[in-house]
Amino acid sequence: MTLRRLFAFSSLAFLIVLAFSPVKNALRPYRALQRQFRLEGIARASSAKASEMYASRPIAIEQIWLPELNDRVDRCTTCHLGVADAAMTSAPQPFRTHPPTFHTPQDIQRFGCTACHGGEGLATDQADAHGTSPDATTPILPTDFIEAGCGRCHDADTVRDAPMLSSGRALMVKSNCFACHKARGHEDFRADAPSLDTLPTKTGAEWLRRWLSDPKAVDANATMPNFQLTADDIKVLSHYLFGRTVPPQLQHAIDLAGAEPPGDSARGKTLFAESRCISCHTVDGKGNGSAPELGKIASRASRGWLIAFVRDPQAFYPQTRMPRYSFTDADVRDVVAWFEDELRDFDAPANILVPLRVNQTFAEKGEKLFKSAGCFACHGGMKEGERFGPDLYGTGERKATSLDFGKRTDLPRTLAAWLTAKISSPRSFAPGLKMPTFAFDAAQKRAIVTALLAIPSTPVPEAYHSAPPQQAAIVPAGAVGEIMSRYRCLSCHQVGSRGGDISTAPLTFEGSKVNRDWLVRYLAVPYSIRPIIAERMPVLKVSKEEAALLADAIAMIYVDPSTPDDPFAGRPASDRDAAEGERLYTTFGCRSCHIIGKNGGYYGPPLTETHARLKPGWVFRFLQNPQRWRADVRCPNYGMTDTDALRLTAYLETLAEAPAAGKVAAK
Amino acid sequence: MRRRILLLAVILLLCAASCRRANRPASAAAVPRPSQYELRLGKEVYQSYCIGCHGDSGAGDGFNAFSLDPHPRDLGDPAFQKGKSNADLADAIRRGGAGVGLTSLMPPWGHTLDDRHIDAVVLYIRSLRR
Repeated sequence: MTLRRLFAFSSLAFLIVLAFSPVKNALRPYRALQRQFRLEGIARASSAKASEMYASRPIAIEQIWLPELNDRVDRCTTCHLGVADAAMTSAPQPFRTHPPTFHTPQDIQRFGCTACHGGEGLATDQADAHGTSPDATTPILPTDFIEAGCGRCHDADTVRDAPMLSSGRALMVKSNCFACHKARGHEDFRADAPSLDTLPTKTGAEWLRRWLSDPKAVDANATMPNFQLTADDIKVLSHYLFGRTVPPQLQHAIDLAGAEPPGDSARGKTLFAESRCISCHTVDGKGNGSAPELGKIASRASRGWLIAFVRDPQAFYPQTRMPRYSFTDADVRDVVAWFEDELRDFDAPANILVPLRVNQTFAEKGEKLFKSAGCFACHGGMKEGERFGPDLYGTGERKATSLDFGKRTDLPRTLAAWLTAKISSPRSFAPGLKMPTFAFDAAQKRAIVTALLAIPSTPVPEAYHSAPPQQAAIVPAGAVGEIMSRYRCLSCHQVGSRGGDISTAPLTFEGSKVNRDWLVRYLAVPYSIRPIIAERMPVLKVSKEEAALLADAIAMIYVDPSTPDDPFAGRPASDRDAAEGERLYTTFGCRSCHIIGKNGGYYGPPLTETHARLKPGWVFRFLQNPQRWRADVRCPNYGMTDTDALRLTAYLETLAEAPAAGKVAAK
Repeated sequence: MRRRILLLAVILLLCAASCRRANRPASAAAVPRPSQYELRLGKEVYQSYCIGCHGDSGAGDGFNAFSLDPHPRDLGDPAFQKGKSNADLADAIRRGGAGVGLTSLMPPWGHTLDDRHIDAVVLYIRSLRR
């Protein structure tokens, strides 16, 4: 009897165990969700047929298999059933339609889900798939940083439709992150920091003390972070920096300049304004801000140094983006005289520019600190291989459990929280950490963390990799190259994939765009082409000979082969064409942005002098597709026919009045 | 036998009940709020193409506004926002003022911007409502 009972009990237990597996399978959460999706679908179905389709949907695991993407298998669509279903835009999650992006809905089968979103593709349980536990290998990307997903395949600095990623990448370059940290694609990075060679004759101990305590407090445009130095650190560093030997030639130039007679401050003020220095610098916050603030410049640098520097900045610092203006000696004296009269810190103590008497013992300590704090990474020719910051390779795939949170017990144990804290207050993790503190605001922090989360440990397979298209950047050698280097054209203008972004006019195809004679005149005396843009072409005092040489080279080198010389193909436009063009000008509403004569808007360039400035072939091609040469051109594409584009070109070519530049700028 | 079935049934029921409760999706409002990403994209488009005339806050006070007659639309005006559907706004952006019987000073953006960008900028314009 006991045996029989035992047998009955064990067989019952066996049956339960046996039944467990199918029961467990039948009760998997996704099955319930799929049944619910049926109901949601039926409720939203617009036709009986659609309703039938939802009702007959099999309950089964869905997956996307991507053999070319490391054999990735994504089963996310097992629960997220409506991602590509337009009827589900207002459905509750997990059924809602994916918001429209560059790749969705059309590319879902091509990329799957985890390539962009992270997460564990094979899992069919929410917690596992989303990787919500701290030891998850591939946690899902928080939506705050979602654009990091774009950056895993897209290498470009500016990724279309990913504004946060793009601004994060730009900020990392501007903040010189890659001076200390290795990262793929930035192996040759060189920090944009000035040489410190002439510091002893440039500034004073008090100014340096203020700068080293907090660079941003001295100059809002400063890219140098705060190294949180103690008063002692600052003292020894100052002794080291003031103890450096100034290169004799520069010392000589600075000494001579310091002894020059005083300049004419009023004339200097006019010159400063005319020269458009604030296309890069700021004065009391007004200006572009990519170069130092000049509002208190005379309390930052000595007169001799300023005069010598403005005359030849490139001798002080070969990498500088500042052009060497063709000022006369008196011009520079006058500008600096104005600095001394007006652009100074009136609250500064009298000794702000008094140099330090160097104590050798302190200087030696300072030299050690200069090395150990890593100052040389930006201020002294760092080479690849010497970079001492942690590699950034694979930052976006680091596991939360592998991160050293140190003293930061307050943080959620996630990679995003760790990275945000790292760039907010890097030294809060442990004493003795090297990384300095940057003054990023909340939006900048989100952007940089997005860029960091986008760095994979291994690049995606070639089939999925998207590198920026490299456009040839021809910069001529010889005399023209020297002129271009002297005036630093590429600090503002793009040539192919190189150059700065201060100017909206790339030079890549400038030769096909503007008339050579106009360009000669413009280079000699630039004026404002788009009055609303604060960053205007500086008046570099280019000589007539230099202007002619440059214009000839530009006309020859920077040419777009697809732009016709004569869009009319030998059949000159008739008066009727021009009249039709004028009518089109009104129909298209061009005058809302452009001025002709006295009427029109201020957004685009005035068109009054089109005939003198622009080549007809370029006007024609531009009208067909304004975004052809630069994707961010604001002029709308009107989708006009070739005939209309030609007629409009014919009309604009009749506009040959002399430029009213002075009037426009003064208005 | 009956006991066994009963036992199984009880286990099944318990499991089913707990699973159902755990996995019922949170009920959402009928119209989903635009994602942060869409708003960001819309803002980017707005600040590139619209701000010159319609202004930072959408009040129709951009720096180019004073040279335009008629004046650019005040996009933040609640009455305007109420009177236009998303499709109306997208249509005006796509075909321009002339396309919807208004002034040609508002250009058509249909050849410059994708539908996706236009939809995103409409969402952003909605966020400008005062």
